[in-house]
Amino acid sequence: MSSKKTHNPIQINAEVCVKCNLCDWICPGDLIYKKEDDRKTLPVIKYPDECWYCGLCQSICPVDAIEIIFPEEMINCKTDVRTLLGKPVD
Amino acid sequence: MNWHEIETDVLVIGGGVAGCMAAIPALENNLDVTILEKGKILDHCGSVGCGVDHYLTIMDSGPEWDTPEFLIKHVPELTDGIVDLEVTSKLIHQMPRVLKKIESFGVNFKDPRYNDYYRLRSFGLPGTYHINFDGTEFKKHIGQQVRKLKGKVLTRTMGVELLKKDNRIYGAVAFNFRSGEWYAIKAKSVVMAAGEVNRLSKNASGMPFDSWHCPYNTGDSHRMAYDAGAILTNMEFIETTLTPKGFSAQGLNALVSEGAHFINKQGERFMFKYDEKGENARRAVIADAVINEYLLGNGPIYADCRHLPENILDHMEATLQIDRYTMPAFYEQKNLNFREEPVEISISELSIRRSGVYFRGSGLAVDTNGHSSVENLFAAGDCASVSGGIAGAAVLGHIAGEGVSAHLQTHTQKHLPDFNLDEINSIKEQNQSHLTASGMDWRSFEDQTREVVSNYIGVRRSSKSLELAMQTLSSLAKEEPNMKANDLHGLMRVNEAKSIRLSAEIMANAAMGRTESRTGSSHFREDYPISNDEWKKFILVTKHDESTKLEYLDSDKPLSTAFKRGN
Repeated sequence: MSSKKTHNPIQINAEVCVKCNLCDWICPGDLIYKKEDDRKTLPVIKYPDECWYCGLCQSICPVDAIEIIFPEEMINCKTDVRTLLGKPVD
Repeated sequence: MNWHEIETDVLVIGGGVAGCMAAIPALENNLDVTILEKGKILDHCGSVGCGVDHYLTIMDSGPEWDTPEFLIKHVPELTDGIVDLEVTSKLIHQMPRVLKKIESFGVNFKDPRYNDYYRLRSFGLPGTYHINFDGTEFKKHIGQQVRKLKGKVLTRTMGVELLKKDNRIYGAVAFNFRSGEWYAIKAKSVVMAAGEVNRLSKNASGMPFDSWHCPYNTGDSHRMAYDAGAILTNMEFIETTLTPKGFSAQGLNALVSEGAHFINKQGERFMFKYDEKGENARRAVIADAVINEYLLGNGPIYADCRHLPENILDHMEATLQIDRYTMPAFYEQKNLNFREEPVEISISELSIRRSGVYFRGSGLAVDTNGHSSVENLFAAGDCASVSGGIAGAAVLGHIAGEGVSAHLQTHTQKHLPDFNLDEINSIKEQNQSHLTASGMDWRSFEDQTREVVSNYIGVRRSSKSLELAMQTLSSLAKEEPNMKANDLHGLMRVNEAKSIRLSAEIMANAAMGRTESRTGSSHFREDYPISNDEWKKFILVTKHDESTKLEYLDSDKPLSTAFKRGN
């Protein structure tokens, strides 16, 4: 599992969530784990750093309990694009 | 034996558009089809599981440009002369038929504003070939058709290795990364459809899973097929696109086809310096232009929509979420209004897919039936040698499905070989050893691959940089057996990390072999910066002993010329 410092992009409103498993089933990256046939436990975002930010979980949630939150490095990206364009070799 | 044993007619590896479209004709021919899919819900897995907003097709609507012959005539210039014209011609001819078939599944390609097809021009194509549409449920209808025809799907299951005897494929080994169950699958034929190679290089956000295309497509088809002796081609070419800086998302087609401009820090609209089609040039060309502008110190580069009329902006805003559902949230959280201010852009991470041009796919060389160079092994979609976006995946998938059906009518082996228990147990044990290994974490392993690709095999290459890359990736391979997985999910990632590293190494080898430059930054050799007509050749890559062997084939010949299947 990822470290606790990892940004969690999939914010689930625990008061609204109906614990139905759909987000676990639809996630293409196997990130969201929800105990089957159990209407008491919330889904867990087990591997948040492996999120594609596709929003399928949000789109399928029947009660709009999910919000996708982008981290600072995406919203306010400071990377110099030239650092992605290769390095000279002597 | 502690295995689930399965026997099927056709095993499809990957349940995206290509895999499902291959399964459908096989099922219609009453074949037993089993799909291996890493996702859980077939209707929403694969690259466009969350939607798609454009579909490239011929429709035979009347004008000359809308005929197969017209588009085929332009394919050599669209691909800079490196393309399998025989397979591409068949794919283009089949486009109208497959479009109608997909419509019969329930996909509505029409724009409700006009109750007609809304077709736009983009990416250097010589006509308005792209239908822009609301494809939010595109994959759902295709998945439903597979289920209606009783296709079997093993979900959350990853193919690990193909099984081969007497130079014929007869199945694969797979495992479920939730339950830990292992599958030994016998199949008369296997269709590879696990997509392109992503998570291959660094991007602006520094987050490996923030990728333009599905980050869970990691070259698993390429690795399994290469290990089984298949010919791969066009592996030297990289693909990149333009994305809002910080979010590697789809959406470039909608931008350029609706009329957005790209401007540099001086406010100059620079695309026409690079191509007379400006923003409507091929993806490889507009990405190359942006790379050059950044290298010239003209960055930041922006996408600018401010000049567009209100009705176009309204349509763009209303459809912003179709290709990537979260795009509106990104702009909202960034507090950026694309209607009123330019959007800073970056190149995306790199992938091995189809080098920013239509019809030149990077992956398994296939013939006009989707059959690879290895008997009983087929391929379609972004892991095959002819690729054309989602339409290419659908049509070549369908061709492969018909091809495999015809193949099994005439080439069925009476008895598939017995499993070699030593072999399959060894595959399983090697995999499970990662769960107790104490070596490098798969994340660090992947980071090292990405560092090498970005720095030494990416948009600028030379013999020195490629030599360094090959040495580093070869050293990294020695860490593979001891790579650590914390759980079954991690074991899936370990296998993906192996596929990514191997694909990078193959790319470096193939790029070293092509001593010219071609298609802008898709293959730019600083030591050979000029395109040379003598290089109108495919580079064919195969595994020879434990090293990579390169062979060359003039690109006016079909790739199948190089096949030695002997059937």
